[in-house]
Parts: sequence; C-alpha cells; structure tokens
Amino acid sequence: MPHRLEIALKPDLLDAEGRQVQKKAAAYFNMDIASVRCVHILTIDKDLTDSQQRVIRDDIFTNPVTQVSGYAPLDIDFDWCIWVGYRPGVKDNPGETAVEAIEDVIGERFVPGESVYTSRRYCILSDSMGIEDARMIADQLLSNDIIQQVRVFSAAEWDRQTGIGIIIPRVKLDHVPTVTTIPIDDDETVQKISDARNLALNENDIPVIRAYFSDPDVVAERAKAGLSDPTDVEIEYISQARSDHCNHNTFRGRFLYRDRSTGKVEEIDNLFKTFIEAPTLALQQKKDWVVSVLWDNAGVGRFDENHYYVITGETHNSPSNMEAYGGAITGIVGVYRDPLGTGKGSKLVMGSYGYCVGEKNYAGELKPRLHPRRLLDGVIEGVRDGGNKSGIPTPYGQVIFHPGYMGKCLVFVTALGIMPSLVNGEPAEQKTTSPGDLIVMCGGRVGKDGIHGVTASSESFSEHTPAGHVQIGDPYTQKKMHDFLLEARDEGLIQYVTDNGGGGLSSSVGETARFSGGCHVRLEKVPLKYEGLDQWEIWVSESQERMTVAVHPDNEQRFMALSRKHAVESTVIGTYTDSGKLHITYEEKPCAFVNMDFLTRGFPQWVFEAEWTDPDDRGLFEPVVSEPSDYGALLCDMISRPNICSREWIARQYDHEVQGGSVIKPLVGRNRDVNSDASVIRPVLTSERGLVFAQAAIPFYSSIDAWHMTACTIDEAVRRLLAVGGDFDHIGGVDNFCWPNIQYDPAGNPDGKFKAAQLVRSCRAMAELCSQWEIPLLSGKDSMYVDGHLPGPYGEYRKVSALETLQFSVTGVLEDIKKCVTMDVKAPGDLVYILGETKNERGASEYYDRFGYTGRNVPQVDAQAFFTRYKAVTRAVKEALAASIHGIYRGGLGVHLALCAIGGDLGIFLDLSRVPAAEKWSNDALLFSESAGRFIVTVRPENKDAFEAIFSGLPCACAGRVTEEKILDISGVNRAPLCSVRIDDLRYAWKKPFGDLL
Amino acid sequence: MKQPVKVLVLTGYGLNCDIETAHACELAGARAERVHINDVISGAADLFDYQMLVFIGGFSWGDDHGAGVIQAVRMKKHAGERIARFVEKGNLVLGICNGFQTIVNMGLLPGFDSDYQTRAAALTYNDCGNFRDDWVHLSIDSESPCVFTRGMTHLELPIRHGEGKLVAAGETLSRLKQDRQVVCRYAASDGSAANGRFPENPNGSMDDIAGICDPTGRIFGLMPHPEAFTHPTNHPEWSRRKEDLPPAAGLQIFKNAVVYMSR
Repeated sequence: MPHRLEIALKPDLLDAEGRQVQKKAAAYFNMDIASVRCVHILTIDKDLTDSQQRVIRDDIFTNPVTQVSGYAPLDIDFDWCIWVGYRPGVKDNPGETAVEAIEDVIGERFVPGESVYTSRRYCILSDSMGIEDARMIADQLLSNDIIQQVRVFSAAEWDRQTGIGIIIPRVKLDHVPTVTTIPIDDDETVQKISDARNLALNENDIPVIRAYFSDPDVVAERAKAGLSDPTDVEIEYISQARSDHCNHNTFRGRFLYRDRSTGKVEEIDNLFKTFIEAPTLALQQKKDWVVSVLWDNAGVGRFDENHYYVITGETHNSPSNMEAYGGAITGIVGVYRDPLGTGKGSKLVMGSYGYCVGEKNYAGELKPRLHPRRLLDGVIEGVRDGGNKSGIPTPYGQVIFHPGYMGKCLVFVTALGIMPSLVNGEPAEQKTTSPGDLIVMCGGRVGKDGIHGVTASSESFSEHTPAGHVQIGDPYTQKKMHDFLLEARDEGLIQYVTDNGGGGLSSSVGETARFSGGCHVRLEKVPLKYEGLDQWEIWVSESQERMTVAVHPDNEQRFMALSRKHAVESTVIGTYTDSGKLHITYEEKPCAFVNMDFLTRGFPQWVFEAEWTDPDDRGLFEPVVSEPSDYGALLCDMISRPNICSREWIARQYDHEVQGGSVIKPLVGRNRDVNSDASVIRPVLTSERGLVFAQAAIPFYSSIDAWHMTACTIDEAVRRLLAVGGDFDHIGGVDNFCWPNIQYDPAGNPDGKFKAAQLVRSCRAMAELCSQWEIPLLSGKDSMYVDGHLPGPYGEYRKVSALETLQFSVTGVLEDIKKCVTMDVKAPGDLVYILGETKNERGASEYYDRFGYTGRNVPQVDAQAFFTRYKAVTRAVKEALAASIHGIYRGGLGVHLALCAIGGDLGIFLDLSRVPAAEKWSNDALLFSESAGRFIVTVRPENKDAFEAIFSGLPCACAGRVTEEKILDISGVNRAPLCSVRIDDLRYAWKKPFGDLL
Repeated sequence: MKQPVKVLVLTGYGLNCDIETAHACELAGARAERVHINDVISGAADLFDYQMLVFIGGFSWGDDHGAGVIQAVRMKKHAGERIARFVEKGNLVLGICNGFQTIVNMGLLPGFDSDYQTRAAALTYNDCGNFRDDWVHLSIDSESPCVFTRGMTHLELPIRHGEGKLVAAGETLSRLKQDRQVVCRYAASDGSAANGRFPENPNGSMDDIAGICDPTGRIFGLMPHPEAFTHPTNHPEWSRRKEDLPPAAGLQIFKNAVVYMSR
C-alpha cells in the first residue's frame, strides 16, 4: 500500500518559498495574497510497516527543529490549495534520492515497480482570489503541463482525511519490445514512413538509403546475419546520424551566393571547411598552445607544462522554450559532459550562460507558450541548480531581451575543463577504441527521454504515458559520475570516453566504433528505467547523465569496483570489433547490421540559395534627431534600459567561487555591484597562472548587416578579455551560431535567401577576423531553426524569427594573475584615457533603439588598426601601468564611463572635445556611438609618461580625471558643461529595473 | 621527525569542495587525503589514522530533502559510533556549509552535555528565498572555546548557500550564547552586529549566527567558506589593493587546527 508523507515548515517560521510565490503573483498578475505555505509531499509506493514508516518520517524527512509532518494531510488553513506533481516518466530527482535514503535506513531494497514520487501543494490564503485566479497561478506560475499535472482545491472541496488522495505517476507501457522491418520498395513509401515515424529523413537521402539496402552484396551479407529489409533500429540510426543536429548539414552545405547590389555571384562549398576548419588548422601550425581541435567533444589548449584546458559551448533552445527549467538544467549539465568526454576526460572548472528572450514585460497580443518573464525565471533557475549542484563555478554570462526571441528563446551554455597533459604516461588528449575493448555505459538509465527531441506531439499524453521529450537534468547523478570517471582516468582505465547527448547510444557508440572499425552491441544489456521500450528506442534515447567508455577487458574488474565505490551504475553493453559492421542484437536476435563507412559516403550535400542586398538598397538610412538638451536624464534612462541595467540578481544566485580559484568575479568594484569585463579563475590551485574567459553577443547589428554583427561581437569578446589582462597572443575562440531557418520557401520562409546570405557573410567575417587576429576556433556549434509560430488574438499564427545571433566566447592563459585589472576606477586624481576612435556609428545602437530607430551606420571593425592597439593594451597590462581598464560596449561611452565611476564609487570628469574622433559631430554621437575597438583606461599620474609612450601614434588621449566628488561631470565638444549627474543617481537608475529580484 | 597532522576530507555523493579544502589543509601544514564517504563507511580508510575530519561543502545527495539531511542519516547510521570515539579521543571535526548542515543534522552540534546525537538546531532556507553567493564580514567571539578561531576577531569570507538560516529554540540559543558556543556572527564591515539586516546577514539567521562549536571547541561548523580564501586574489577587492594585498585570511582556521593538533 502506498504512503503519502506531508512535510511543512512549522507555522511560526517564514516560508521563503511561499513568499516567492506571493511576490511573483503580485508582480506578474497583480494578485493580493495574504500568505502561501508549501507542503512537500513524498508518495512512497511500497509496503511499509508502522515502525518503518516512523523511522522514515522521523530519522530522514522531518527536522524536529523546523518541520512538522504526517502521513495524514497536514492541517494548514487555505482558501485555495494547488497541488503540483510530475507526469509519468518525468525525471524526479528528489524521488530518487528519497529511495536511496529510505533503502539505507530501513535496510531493504525497493523492487522494480516500487518507487517514491515527490510533489508539492501550496496553501494560499487570499480573500480576493477566485477559481480563475487560482488556475492562473497553477498554470502560469507553479506548473508546466508538459511535465507536470495540477489539481486545484477550494477550501470547501477539501477532504481533511484524504487530502490530495494518492497519486502514483508510474510509467506502465505493457508493450513487448519489437523490431519492425521497413519496406523500401520506392522513395514514396520510405518518405511516408519517415513522416509517420517522425524521422525527418531528407528526401535526397532516401534514394541513397534504398540503394544501399538493395545492393546485392549488402543483401547477401545481411541475409547471413539474419536480416532482409532495413529494421527500424537501422533507419533510426541513419536518421539520427544524418540529422542537421548531428551532421551539421547546413554548415557543410553548398551555398550559391549572389550579391544583388553588385551582381556578383559565387559558390561556397561547405561553410565549416572553408571558414572554420581551414583557418583554424592554419593557426594550429603557428600556435604551439593549440593542442587538439575540431574532432573531439571540446577543443584543447595548453595551460602550462603539465596541464591542458578544455572548452566548448552549446545551446539548448528548443527544449528550454517548451520547459524553461528542465531545458536549461539539461543544457548546462549536458554541456558539462563534453569536457568530461574530451581526451581521456577532464575535470570541469567553469561554466557560463547566455540567455536571449523576449521583452520581460511583454504585454502584446501574441501568446507564446511561456511568457518571456516566466521563461527567463525558469532558465535562470535551471542553470543555477545545474551549475551549483555540479560544484562548478558560473562566474560569467549575459541576458539579451529582444522581441525576435519570443518565437524561440536562446540558452547558451559554455563549459571549461582542465586535464593533466599526461595520463598514466600517455598524452591525455588522445584516445582510441580497439577491437576487443568493452563498450561500457555509465551513469543514468535509459527511458523514453528525448526521443526525436522536442518534435514529439503533446497530444499523445495519457495518465501513464511518459512525457519523454522534455527532460530534467540530474546534476547529482552526473557529479558522482564525474568524480568516478576522473579517478578511473587517473588509474589508466579509460581507452576512450565520450558523452551520450543528441542521438544517445546511436551517436556515441556509432562514432567511437569508427576507430576500432566496428562493434557488437547487445541492447538487452542496457539498463532501463522501466520495461517495454522498443529496441530502436533504447538505441536512440537521449536519457541524460550517461557516458560511453571503452575499457580494456583486463581493466574491467577494477573499473567496475571503482564505479561501485562511487555509487555509479556501469554496464558492459557490447564490444568494439574490427568487423567493419555496426552490429546490434537483442537477446541474440539481429537488430542492425550496417557497414561502418556507410554514413561517410554517398549522401548528397544540402544546397542553399543566398541573396544579399546591401543596407542602402534595402532602404536603411540615418534618422533625423536633433541633439538632446537634458543629458542627465538621458544617461539615467540609458543606463536603466533592460539590455544594459544590472543583473545582479542572477550573478548572486550562481555559485561563482566554488573550487577556490576565483580571481576576477562577475561583480567587482568598491561595492561589488558592477559587472566585470571578463572572469578569471585559477584552475590549478598550486599555480599562479589564470584562465581568463569572456563572451559577447550583439545580435542587434544583424538588422543592418550580419558581417558587422559578427566582427563587432568578436571584437567585444576580445576587448573584454584584454580589459582584465588577457594576452592578445593567446586567445582561443568558441563560436555559437543561432540562426533562423535559411532554407528558402516562397510561402513558409520568403526571406530565407537573405538569411542564408547573412550566414555566409557572418562566417566569412569570422574567418577573416580570426585569421588576422590569430584566434583559432577551439570549438563551436550551430542551432539553425530559431523561429516560432505564435498564436494571435484571431486564431492566426504568426511567424516570429530571431535576429541572426552569434555568441562568441574567448579564453586565454594569464601567466601571473596578480597582473589582472578590474574596470572600477581606483583613486581620485587618476587620469582618464579614452583609447580608440569614436566614429559616427549609432546604427542599431541602444541609443537609436531608445527612439525606435534602426539607422544605417553600423559599427565596423578595423582589424589591422585594432591589432596594433590591442598589442599595446597587452603591453600596458604587463608593465602594470593601468589602474583600471574597461571596454566601451553597448550603450556607448556615456554609459560605460558611468559604470566605471559607479564601480569605484568615485566621480569622473570628462572633456568630450578631447575624446579621439575623426570629427567632432555632436555630443550625443560621442556619448552614444557604439564604435568598436575602444577602452576607458585610468592611469595613476606617476605612470602618465610610460603609459603614453606605449600608445604614441595611436588614437589615445587623456580626456579627464577621476574625482573625489561622486559626480559624472561631462563637458561638451564646445568645452561648455554638458551634464553633471550624481553617481548615486546613476547607480540607482542602473539597479532599479531588476533590483527587487535580489 | 614529527609526523604532520593528517586530515580526512570527505568526498562523494555530490560533495564538491574537496580539492580546495584539501589544498587549504596542505597550505596550513597538514597532510590531507580526500576519501570517499563509502571508504569511510566500509573501513577501507581508517578514521583513526587521522586527527581531523572535514565535512565539506557541496550538495550531498542533491540536498533534495533538506541540506545535509541524507548525508547525516548515512554517516550516523554507518559511522556514527566511530565518529563519536574519534571526537572523544580529542580529534577535530570541521563542518563547512553542507558539512555544517550535516553535522548539525547528525547532532554533533551543538553537543550540549556531551550529547552528540540530538538535533537541537537547524539550518533552513534563506529568508531572501534564493541561493546566494556573496562575501560577508564575520565577527568572531575570541572568548569562544573554539580551537579553530583562536586569536581571531574578524574575518571576511564568501557564503554560497540556499539554506543557511540557523534556527533553534529560545533556550538552545541562550545556552549557545551563554557557553560561548556562538563562534562567529554576520557583521557589518565595521564589525558591528548585522542585527538581521540583509545583505550583511545574508540568510536571516537567528542572532546573526554564522557558525557554532561544541562545548569542547573541537567540533566547529560554519556556513561561510574558509577554504575559498586561501589566496589573496580570492578577496573581491584585491584588485583595488594591489600595493597592500589582503592576507589569505581563511587559511588561519586551518592553521589553528594544525597548531592545536600538533601541540
């Protein structure tokens, strides 16, 4: 008989969780709630004796000091009670740890079918709330129907004896695993099956697949293996491997590029090879610190003689858009498996985030699945729990608001790791599988999770069908696996390690078996969460927290013993071979028998038409705006805009100093409340070396030209790194492209050719700039369908596409962390230098956006000129001549001067007439232009000459000084006073928008 | 030659501050070993080979049922008796963050009248409703019997937790204060009491309590992370004081422990 245990805080204690609900209901829905008390519920689906029940309640789940509990419903007063529990098959992490604890305390194992399910009920007191309000809180604040079920009780309906009742969301499939054969008589039949099974096979791939399975030699071999027509396991395998997600067909496509403005036509065969691989390989020859790139789960650079660093970046957009918390936590925990699966394995040392969402206070008529503010709340919490519970610091990130992300949000997650250069005397970055090695799956179990990504239909829900397509990452299980694998690595027990992400075993085993030249997988060995999965489902399931490891048979015993010690499940599921075949069986019956090289030959390249029209021909122009007169109010307004203002509430929720190596934190300055340009960690605690990291995304410029968006984004990331003391000679890049669909379709995607041209231009700009600045692309990913169809008020659906977005991340090694510099001004009397020319470049700027304009003059990067300037910045840092350095980014000089002053809690006087500029157009151009390549540097008076000597001949001028009086005092191009704003007012404006979320 | 003090740093099951905690112990002159919880339970590692046991920060068992709760249940059931003897023999126990939560749940703290079984205090959800990472000022009771903080009056350290609010019954609090078992309190930057004010008191802890010890002073638990301040550049304002770098003050806690055990 199941038992339901309810636990709550004692009534006299503040219920912080309840208070958050109360605050959000007030802020989002303007609801007046007197109090919310949360009840945590464990439904234990297992027979228990009275004494077992008592022990479980008293020894584990009830704190005698703070909590009350009972197996009968707790008597807590409410007007409305909202119960929220998971749907069947959704990962219930607390339920799993409850099982572990109960088993330990009662000394009895749970048998299959027995389990613990956690849920919550919220007891709400409010005079004014009606049933509609209660429903709104239930559906729009407390639950997401994709993963959760909800019940709402009024006080009158509530039965004090039964409470919520006993709800058991157990998965019951009642299905005998079956391999199905796919007929391949003609293309049309295969296409129909592809559509029906949601395989998303490309129509051009179908003839290739049919030709292979009709080849007489193949037919004969397969007959010997007991197979005829392809099985669903095989077709699913091919479909996964050929997907754009796994195979990057877009980036490997052929682009027919036409410039409508000049008439020039050209063809680019394979963006990846042309613009990413070729320049990076060329740089690898020049840069001896580039250790391993372009083949493994992450790129590898040299940290010091004995250590390598590892970096990669990912996005998790579609799942986060459906279920923000689950998508984001799965995203961050997932990207952490990439460094863990790089080389023979690396320890995770840092993560970062980037969120792009619609306007937080959107009040328009479109109805996205999740309102942007709710989506952002969920995403922030998902990355928080994923990062914090993994014990990995999250010291850096950004949030961008733009209506284009209402269709689909972006969630960037980046991970850095560190590994010894030698493992057991062998190069740590190298690995291979050999015939005879065991295929071991470690970590979580396999369920229907993530099968076919998020395309699965939500209509198929019933009471006991698993809500498989949205997952919830489990950092606890993964942290145990992380610790285990690193110990196994150091004992030399790992031949190869890789993660199970997109495509599950199909990808991880399929790819690793290429090294040995084949494999034999016994699918019945794979541990399952519940019975009844078809063979193909086991093969392609994307259930999280799993790694695939090649282990030499001699090491099996030791590997498994270590795995047990760490409480990690590891299972031998097959053997690597040199048969040339991907061979899969289930209880000795054949499921798949495919040539290993089949996927690498004969599939047609995707083709895209790309058509570029330049901004003038698109009718873009500079707006006509006179110079403002009230600069004080304007500055305060600019600094409080959503894309500029303080996000302290996010940074403080993220553990940014676990592992003990924090050097430059996300918030710096006298009051530790201003964003630093970049973050620095000391990943090896016995060393004085540091790892610097920064990232940037400025998608707004894509509305003029994605070329300049790209160049400016890379430039910003680089300047951020330089500002804290990074070395211009050692910068590794990570590119994450998020683009709307670029495949032209006259009805569905009429501007597809333009978006394709933007992608070509973006890639080319990146290749040119990275070659000139010698930035190898250590890693990168692309996510190509950032579009959504949102319902409007009349039953219509409107397509909303994101801006063409590149997030560019940079990392580098610092020889001496004590040379690091922060952006806050340090002392009154220090001289304020402006480095780099300010041009009339306000196109797509924050300033124009304030007035609703786009403009024409997008900021441009002068690679050669900036190169010399950045070398000089590196020199100034090495000679310790700068007291503070800050790049001038979004919002322009005015905004960033203010931030430097707020950081130092001092004032600044600046004379705009002395700011380097080819022409002195106007004060507003100088203050709000977003020209690239610029810094604000403060210098102690005694370092004046040495500093100026380094920058002689470069656009660099002393334009002001730091003042004791806390005022931002600016004089205009005519040298007359322009504005005088109190730093406290600027700080207030900067913190106000999101200040109450802290 | 004198043997260095040996420290056992617990690891596994979602704990995560093992490397920096072991590093801090080593910098303080000890020999630290990171040992998996299961190796302590199984006896593969013998607790009595060590003079100090550290329950470290992290999210043991995901902290899904109250921070440190399951770790406490597990350790009490399988190693409770050994840990009691370990303490009785005059050795040291330090609990940091999740470790503090764990030893409070085990009943090692407050440990009134040599009772190391009873849960008399709790660490519960921060009043602010969020996990929080920030640096705090601590004022230290120099009259406390705590051996880890001897000679110290003030300390800056980072806190990083979602459940750090210390709650106890009135009589428990009075006794803690009376016996000088309240080792450190959240304070303003000038050392004056935070008086519950956010963010100086980051979690709403009763009486601003950040850490407590047992009556012997050899068991010490605190929410802030001394192992995260073992290098001057850990301090949030070090780049503003390059000429006069702040000392890595968190180390002193570990040094005091080593000095005490080497006496």
